[in-house]
Amino acid sequence: MKIGQNYAARKANDDDNMVPLINVVFLMLVFFMVAGQIRKADPVPVIPPQSINDTRAATDPSIEIVLGADNSLYVDDVLFVIDDVQGYLADQFAAAIDKDGFWVQIKADGDLSLDVLRPVFNQVRLAGLTKVSLATQLERGQDDL
Amino acid sequence: MSLNLSQTKRKNAISLTPLIDVVFILLLFFMLTSSFVPWRIVDTPLSVPTEAEATPEESENIILTLKANDEQVWIEEQVVRFSDQAAFEALVTENNAGVFIIQAEDGVTLQTLMSLADRLKLNGAKTVSIANAFAMPEAK
Repeated sequence: MKIGQNYAARKANDDDNMVPLINVVFLMLVFFMVAGQIRKADPVPVIPPQSINDTRAATDPSIEIVLGADNSLYVDDVLFVIDDVQGYLADQFAAAIDKDGFWVQIKADGDLSLDVLRPVFNQVRLAGLTKVSLATQLERGQDDL
Repeated sequence: MSLNLSQTKRKNAISLTPLIDVVFILLLFFMLTSSFVPWRIVDTPLSVPTEAEATPEESENIILTLKANDEQVWIEEQVVRFSDQAAFEALVTENNAGVFIIQAEDGVTLQTLMSLADRLKLNGAKTVSIANAFAMPEAK
């Protein structure tokens, strides 16, 4: 009987030891829920250029073009050859309901040379689209500029 | 007597293990899907031929040319280093009525272009155009 009581008490104590762990885990959970933003991952890792520009997009882009550091080109998460982009963009624009709000976002790696970007912009221009935005990353520690 | 009461309470307490399991799964989910990159956008409106006349007088515009990723910019045969704060201030003060048009040669990176645009903006430039840097050579 005495052994049983001790055993029960020890079991309860084991759970008590878990409380600080749960506290920490809950804190981490709340942090990630509040501070993080859930969005789909880019098809290739992209480190955007840093800029002091602080303009946020009011709406989600109609088309997202991702240019990785390895020169790979993804349009709406599908690997594309540069010459096919114009046709795709024109088709998407023709099918769009809100043509005034149609805009293209280009996510390009900061280390990419501009001569890789030029054909992409050219394809967008040839498709007749004018609303294009380039994704940047807000620069931290602007004092060291 | 009171000791017995507290023991009964403990025995009936809900086990914490399933709770921790669920919380850990939630934590993993949020850790893996959360993104902390503060994305921003820079509008680079592409010109169509009919809008070309709408830009301010060309004489007021100043063209800055990036030739390499060497932290310096060419302004009409003159080289200005990015770190030359006084030169940038003077440049912006003198030419703020026009548009600062940035051009870039092959090999210049996007980051260099954005750094120059930032420099100009930090010194008070009203209108900086980076769209020319993305124009195909024959369209310039």
